[in-house]
Amino acid sequence: MSRWERLGLRARITLLFALGGLLLATTIGLLTLTLTRRSLLVERDAAALASFAENGQRFQRQVGDDPAAEGVAAILESLTTTSGALPLVRFGEEWVGLNLLVFSEETVPNTLLQLISQGSAGRTRITLNGEPAIVSGVQLPGRDAAYFEAVLIGEVDETLNSLGLILLVVGTVTTLVAAALGLWASRRALTPLADIRAAAESLAAGDLKTRLDPPADADLASLSASFNGMAQSLEDRIDRDARFASEVSHELRSPLMTFSASAEVLNNDRHQMSQRSQTALALLTDDIARFTQLVENLLEISRYDVGTAALQAEPVFFAEFVRHAISYSSRPDISLSVSEEGESLVIVADKRRLAQVIANLIDNADKYGGGNIEVEISSESDVAFLAVQDRGPGVPAAERRVIFDRFSRGSSGGRRGHDTGTGLGLSLVSEHVHLHTGEVWVEDRLDGMPGARMVVALPIRIDPEDDQ
Amino acid sequence: MTTRILTVEDDERIRMSVRLALEDEGYEVAEAESGEDALLAFGQAPADVVLIDIMLPGMDGFEVCRSIRKVSDVPIVMVTARADTHDVVAGLEAGADDYLTKPHAPKELSARIRALLRRVRTSDSGAPQLVFGELEIIPDEGVVRVGAEEVHLTKTEFRLLVELASNVGRVFSRELLLERVWGYGYFGDGRLVDVHIRRLRTKIEPDPANPRYVVTVRGLGYKLAA
Repeated sequence: MSRWERLGLRARITLLFALGGLLLATTIGLLTLTLTRRSLLVERDAAALASFAENGQRFQRQVGDDPAAEGVAAILESLTTTSGALPLVRFGEEWVGLNLLVFSEETVPNTLLQLISQGSAGRTRITLNGEPAIVSGVQLPGRDAAYFEAVLIGEVDETLNSLGLILLVVGTVTTLVAAALGLWASRRALTPLADIRAAAESLAAGDLKTRLDPPADADLASLSASFNGMAQSLEDRIDRDARFASEVSHELRSPLMTFSASAEVLNNDRHQMSQRSQTALALLTDDIARFTQLVENLLEISRYDVGTAALQAEPVFFAEFVRHAISYSSRPDISLSVSEEGESLVIVADKRRLAQVIANLIDNADKYGGGNIEVEISSESDVAFLAVQDRGPGVPAAERRVIFDRFSRGSSGGRRGHDTGTGLGLSLVSEHVHLHTGEVWVEDRLDGMPGARMVVALPIRIDPEDDQ
Repeated sequence: MTTRILTVEDDERIRMSVRLALEDEGYEVAEAESGEDALLAFGQAPADVVLIDIMLPGMDGFEVCRSIRKVSDVPIVMVTARADTHDVVAGLEAGADDYLTKPHAPKELSARIRALLRRVRTSDSGAPQLVFGELEIIPDEGVVRVGAEEVHLTKTEFRLLVELASNVGRVFSRELLLERVWGYGYFGDGRLVDVHIRRLRTKIEPDPANPRYVVTVRGLGYKLAA
């Protein structure tokens, strides 16, 4: 990727606009300056020439044969000269002028002197007192005398300078305006891209129904169409996968039904079997139960993937419910402590799912928490809390999110041999709790002892809908 | 007398294994592999309990259920694939008394059957006759009249009504009704109660949309109004 491309589209467009503005401003500025200068100089030149021609003739008429210096000076003063024009006269070797400090014999260039000594008029540019000037000269006919006039054209340069300054300011402003325009245009041009980015982020976050609105701009229609096409095929594909998982689990139910009924028939005749057969049957029976649970959990979780998980909400006396759930769980002996306000807590919940949440949390604590499980109920304004804590090794901070992933069993892989879970327990807990718009997390025990504390936070809704 | 169970299931393996397991429990089992078969078999020799898989080729389980209900109040257990779909409510509305999801342990099935039969055969009546306005219940005879007309209730509907009538004005939670009528524990499916209440209302209420006898107590349960 070149350096230019690394700049980013928006910066590049802005920069291009700015450069364009600068180029335009510079070209127009230079052109303006050149043309103005030329026309000013031509005008000035013409004025100087006109004044010189008139004054030269006037001087020639008025000066007599006796060119006394005073008389000449008087004549020179009487001449109407254009502003800034200085006359100078040579009589033989004598020079008379109005301002000899500025315009005198020394300042008249030799080239001009030579030119007019041949009888013609001439003009040339010189520098007078640091200022540019045009000097015109003519030999007076019939005598050894010449008339010169110097016109200072410095003010033209001044005018041009201030014009240049103005043009510089205008050019700068133009460039900045162009840059701003470029920024705006690039933003505007990129607005559809921002929409696409938002849509892509929403897709990535799991909202598979995200689509772009058809754009008003025909140029973007194909981009938007192909984006939507991509989103659609992604959705179809994920949908297909989810449906497949759901159907597979569903198809497994029929053979499982046969397994379970047949195993029961065998179990009824267990006492007639050899020890070996009984052991094998016990293994078979246990794993049929485990397999059944796995299929149930897979189906349950695939309902979330297919999007058919619907909350069957009804008002529930939370503490009473949890008490019952514990008594039906794998550890009916564990202790439950309920805060004072927790005792009267009513939440709106899906009983089947909530019971599964509690059972799975208890199973998890039983499996990994080294026994000694405590369950707590408390509340805080409009949130009900259920905490299940154990005295196990706890969950390292790095794994606290991961443990809610499917088939994740923490870092203690060594214990897997004794594991009878399906690896879906906690992810089902998480899905169920989120369906209730609640949160679930794991933290350290509050009393500082080693062990994990799983917390479920469920919103307390005021209006329990009667689902009859 | 052995209890006769009719199982309606199109999967032969399931049918066979369930029959073996139920026979171990001491039941006599008749089989039908389709809805049409089931109606034929039921017409020839009525069963004490009917077990119907909803997913049947041809005539589906709901239809079988409705057809049997027209001629008999035999306890019916529906077998559904999933507990959280509309299938459960549809099955109950078609007249089923209870449901089971597949796969279930045969022990669970026989527990259900025992609960259904127990409540058909026993009647824990208090008073010989209960009268609420137009509604008259005679528990010992299993008779319910609205006005002078006798209303035909299934055994489960009848038990539910008698349960509510056993303590007029008292609010019965769904959990309590599930335990008393269906023999479930705390985690029974409340929809069993709701659908049966609905069915009961269509039979005994003058205006089922505005019940006068079986009243909903919002968020708590149901009661029989005096």
